[in-house]
Amino acid sequence: MSKPAKAVGIEIAGINLSYGATHVLKNVDLTVRPGEFFAFLGPSGCGKTTLLRLIAGFAQAQTGQVLLDGQDVAPLPPWKRDVGMVFQSYALWPHMTVAKNVAFGLEERRLPRAEIDRRVAEALDLVGLAAFAGRRPAQLSGGQQQRVAVARTIAIEPKVLLLDEPLSNLDAKMRVSVRRELRALQQRLGLTTIFVTHDQEEANTICDRIAVMDAGTIRQVGTPMELYESPANLFVASFLGSANILGDGDGISVPAGKRLVFRPQHATLSSVAGATLRGPVTHREFLGATVRYSVRIGGSEILVEVPFQSGGELRTVGDMVGVALPPERMLFLPA
Amino acid sequence: MRTLAGTRSLGQAALALAIALFLGLFLVVPVTTVIYVAFTEKGGGALTLINFLDFARTELFVRSFWNSVYVSAMTVVWASALALPLAYLTTRFEFRGAMLVQTLGFLPLVMPPFVGAVAMQLLFGRNGSVNLLLDEWFGFKIGFMEGLNGVIFLQAIHYFPFILVNLSAALRNIDRSMEEAAQNLGSHGLRLFRRIALPLALPGYIAGASLVFVKVFDDVATPLLLNVKEMLAPQAYLRITSIGIDDPMGYVISVVLIGVAVATMWASALVLKGKDYATTQRGGGGLARRKLKPRESFLAYAVVILILALVLAPHVGLLLLSFATVWSFSPLPDGYTLAHYARVLGDSSVYIKNTLLYSSLAAGIDIVIGGAIAYLVLRTKLAGRQWLDWAASTALAVPGIVLGIGYLRAFYGVKLPDGTPLATLWIVIVLAIAIRRLPYALRAAYAALQQISVSLEEAAENLGATKARTVRRVVIPLMTGGLLAGFVTSFATAAVELSAVLMLVQSNSDAPLAYGLYVLMQTPAGRGAGAALGVIAVVIVAICMGLAQLAADRSQRVRGLDI
Amino acid sequence: MVRLSTFTVGLTLGLILAAGAAFAQTGKVTVVTSFSKDVTDPLKKAFEKAVPGATLEVQNRNTNAGVKFVEETKANNQVDLFWASAPDAFEVLKAKKLLSPYKPKAAGIAEKVGSYPVNDKDGFYSGFAASGYGIMWNERYVKANKLPTPKEWQDLTTAPYFDHVSISAPSRSGTTHLTIETILQGEGWDKGWRTTKEISGNLRQVTDRSFGVPEAVNSGQVGYGIVIDFFAFSSQGAGFPVKFVYPSVTTLVPANVGIVANAPNKAGAEAFIEFLLSPTGQEALLEPTIRRLPVRPETYAKAPADYPNPFKDKNLQGLLTFNAELSESRSAAVDTLFDQLITFQLEPLKAATKALHEVDAALAKKDNAQARALAKEARDLIAVMPITAAQAASPEIRAAFSGGKEKSARQAELEQQWAAFAKEKYAAAKAKADEALKLAR
Repeated sequence: MSKPAKAVGIEIAGINLSYGATHVLKNVDLTVRPGEFFAFLGPSGCGKTTLLRLIAGFAQAQTGQVLLDGQDVAPLPPWKRDVGMVFQSYALWPHMTVAKNVAFGLEERRLPRAEIDRRVAEALDLVGLAAFAGRRPAQLSGGQQQRVAVARTIAIEPKVLLLDEPLSNLDAKMRVSVRRELRALQQRLGLTTIFVTHDQEEANTICDRIAVMDAGTIRQVGTPMELYESPANLFVASFLGSANILGDGDGISVPAGKRLVFRPQHATLSSVAGATLRGPVTHREFLGATVRYSVRIGGSEILVEVPFQSGGELRTVGDMVGVALPPERMLFLPA
Repeated sequence: MRTLAGTRSLGQAALALAIALFLGLFLVVPVTTVIYVAFTEKGGGALTLINFLDFARTELFVRSFWNSVYVSAMTVVWASALALPLAYLTTRFEFRGAMLVQTLGFLPLVMPPFVGAVAMQLLFGRNGSVNLLLDEWFGFKIGFMEGLNGVIFLQAIHYFPFILVNLSAALRNIDRSMEEAAQNLGSHGLRLFRRIALPLALPGYIAGASLVFVKVFDDVATPLLLNVKEMLAPQAYLRITSIGIDDPMGYVISVVLIGVAVATMWASALVLKGKDYATTQRGGGGLARRKLKPRESFLAYAVVILILALVLAPHVGLLLLSFATVWSFSPLPDGYTLAHYARVLGDSSVYIKNTLLYSSLAAGIDIVIGGAIAYLVLRTKLAGRQWLDWAASTALAVPGIVLGIGYLRAFYGVKLPDGTPLATLWIVIVLAIAIRRLPYALRAAYAALQQISVSLEEAAENLGATKARTVRRVVIPLMTGGLLAGFVTSFATAAVELSAVLMLVQSNSDAPLAYGLYVLMQTPAGRGAGAALGVIAVVIVAICMGLAQLAADRSQRVRGLDI
Repeated sequence: MVRLSTFTVGLTLGLILAAGAAFAQTGKVTVVTSFSKDVTDPLKKAFEKAVPGATLEVQNRNTNAGVKFVEETKANNQVDLFWASAPDAFEVLKAKKLLSPYKPKAAGIAEKVGSYPVNDKDGFYSGFAASGYGIMWNERYVKANKLPTPKEWQDLTTAPYFDHVSISAPSRSGTTHLTIETILQGEGWDKGWRTTKEISGNLRQVTDRSFGVPEAVNSGQVGYGIVIDFFAFSSQGAGFPVKFVYPSVTTLVPANVGIVANAPNKAGAEAFIEFLLSPTGQEALLEPTIRRLPVRPETYAKAPADYPNPFKDKNLQGLLTFNAELSESRSAAVDTLFDQLITFQLEPLKAATKALHEVDAALAKKDNAQARALAKEARDLIAVMPITAAQAASPEIRAAFSGGKEKSARQAELEQQWAAFAKEKYAAAKAKADEALKLAR
């Protein structure tokens, strides 16, 4: 499979989309850079799939623009957009063989037969399913079906690749290997790719950048590290990894309209004396490398994870403890 | 474990036995008493196959056989041509009046074929309105209603709803991602329809098409009304009802008809084997309906209106006839009057009452038995359960006249305590209609049950419900929509059933509408009145169907099974 | 809708009650008839008025289905009367011992109408009205197509009538069977069949119901129909632009009523027959929707001016004497011959006939003796019959249709032979006619 001449960027500006009274996407602005592996991450119902379908042309926005390679795609129907989409259900056609499925898009482009055959073989080779060309989709395992769906999409050499929760129908072990394959394939093709998922681990492990979405808005865009280290708001902080959130009500002072946010592993337990944050241990969990304590501070419970040392001193439930936190780890985020 | 399985299958076996008894008593026995004649020597009564040899040697019968095959096949082609655009437009586009189209598209089934043929002769016949106008304006005529083509024309209009209904349902049940994936890969429009939607809807289409093929193959009334006798079913009818001649050939042909029907059903099952494309994944829901561009919209409406005008032509003709004073060799009636309605209003109430009673009873019997057979076949391992299905489906192929004579033979000798023959009770008419329409309800019940995941029942059993309670609390509620659809089809078509009824009606006070129509239509002065009664029949059945449809839709929506 | 459903419930109850109560009535007379509502309703009303306490229960079936019904239900018969036009249906019932004899008491009934005895000589059925056969046509159709008006059967054989005539199959319609039998008896077997086939060469269609013919003529789908008179009269009564003529070779045949063997209400059945023959019953026949010819001569005094009167009108006097026994003896053969030689060979027959019409037209312009001879040969080929009159009534042929011992061949075999015979002759006739046409041009 030859690399596309040039990877393509996607520009999304001022998108608003409603189905009747439901406002599904609200003022969405986003830039996906050429060649990037990009994720839409968010809980179900946040609008991530709708945004993906908007790019593919299966949904129409009331306002705003989608630019592919600088060109507004609004007037283009789905079949003229050249964006490849892999559906969550794979949408393999049961009445066609694997090879026929992969050949479909090429036939629609009226390519010569020899060219079609060559590219079908290439695409199936690429996903390691050359031997299964004559089978029907129903005769394949879930992982194989997923790879056929990918092969079918990349066979047409799309400008961008859209993946709608492509791993959700696979078992846990398959997911890890398939996501590595996907990443490797994307790297090889240099194809701008958008990956929709609700699983932060998936997004973190394979994507260059992530847009975290909630209730139809994009809450933050950044690399996995940026999002983890410096979340822009409480939603992002708590959606990626666990975060402790404390406010006025918990007996501490924070700037007006802000909350104190920190990760459990950045805090340590100290003596009660002199500690600003203190309270009783309510729960203790042994996790192997660390021990996780729950501590009640004011009206909230926070988590503190401390490294486990053999023979080290352990606190028990009911002990009064102080919680120490380096100032550089304290985040004050808008409520 | 053994006792558990034992009690379970005991209940099922009892149910199966009851159904077998019903089918045996009201289908197999009466039909056998008639068609065994096909295997006996005339006059002598010795068993023989010579009659079948005679059938194969007689040029007329062979010609009739091929004519029937040709007409049935061409009807399927034309009916598909009418149904495809309607199904496609109403399921894939934002189309105002899609609901109306689907409903109007069902109306031809509600028209008794012989009445439709009279109306169509007046509109499309050699000297019907269309041809008189064509002749006047352009100096030529088109033989719409001539010979075999006329039969195909009428049958395609009459039976296309079977294809429309099945095809629309199949198209709606295709998961939207199937077509979106194709669009994403560059396919659209008719090509997308041909390459993806149509193959995936094939099972539904074949189910409808095979039904149409069999119905046309076995239909007597329409060819005879067009004076086409050289087809197989009319030949059987003419032989069986000819005066004073005891001719086994009529029954031989009946056996051939039943054989062809069974073979057709078997072949369609064979074609569909391994093609169960149940693609609906998460609550299903078909492709998002596309908006039509103004020009497309114009074209689409033009096509839909043209097709609807054609399929509703019999109704228009009937309406005109019901208000006509005299309509003879002219594009439109000479004058209009309400007299026909006045004449039938008094007579017709008894017909209407009988029709509503008989049709609802028959359709009720049908969905109970159809639902039970579908459950036994799809959900149990009972030995021989397939036979119930096959037996019930054979009813499709038994000519009405054969069933009618069979009932007289089998039940006229059975006396009630006061000496009246069993066959004179009106309930016998209901049973005959129920048997004739059972295959429709059975198909609907199958479709309904197939759409329910077994896991829903397993969940109920897992939570402690017995088989019987699971059926009552989970299966039946979920099947309601499908069963109602079956009820509607059975009811509507039962209301226009004539061939068996004609043999079984014992008195005017027990007669249903179709009989009243038939009697009126046999007199010069009765044509207008018959048409008025026909209009009343169509309106009443259409209202009942509309109400049932509404109820079905509502129950679907309440259960969140939006289709 | 609410009212409708209470209606239905009430009806259900009503029907159940009626089913129980019906048999308690003593005055119920059940009649199986081929007559339409137009005929039965006025007579039912008049009968129930004339005989208080009696009700007439009408089961409407076509003649064939009626015979079949009475036959199938004889084990537990519930029918009192059989009431229809075609005498041969009664002959069939009589032969199967499904009728019981009854001699009407009514006085003043004519012995003969035309030259046909009104009553069965064995007393199994009685005539109550007469009907004759003839030709009806649609005036608008005839005018639009500039066609002539017919007077005789022979007229229908001529070129202008090609593709404009309709008839019902004699095997399907007792009345048409009598029409054909009338022609056969009037002109003799061979000549009669020649006429029949020459008319048939001009046929547009052969219907399977008697009513199919007047229906097609009334609506203007065909121009001419060979029908029993009352179809034309009642069509005129309903306002259709149709006319009717009795050809000189016709017969008046009574419409009959007979008591079914083991009738449950024999007294009621007799009362109905007496009513039909009474002056009141006879006058009811003059109703515009019925229009049958009464068998009581004095009733005609009350008829409209142009009403045909078989006891006075010259053209209905001295008609052919119809031989019902002869008709019965060969009825199956005649019906089957018509079906196999005409109904199911209509296309080849019409093709040959059309070619002959063209030959005639060419010869009228320029005579050619050789062509004339060829055309005559072609006509003879069409006319030739596979069996003679004697064979048609022979025990061998009759047994083939009834399944008797004497049969020489099965019915199916005879049918195959006759169909093949007709096909071959018509093809040969067409070839000869084509040849003649070449010569004549």
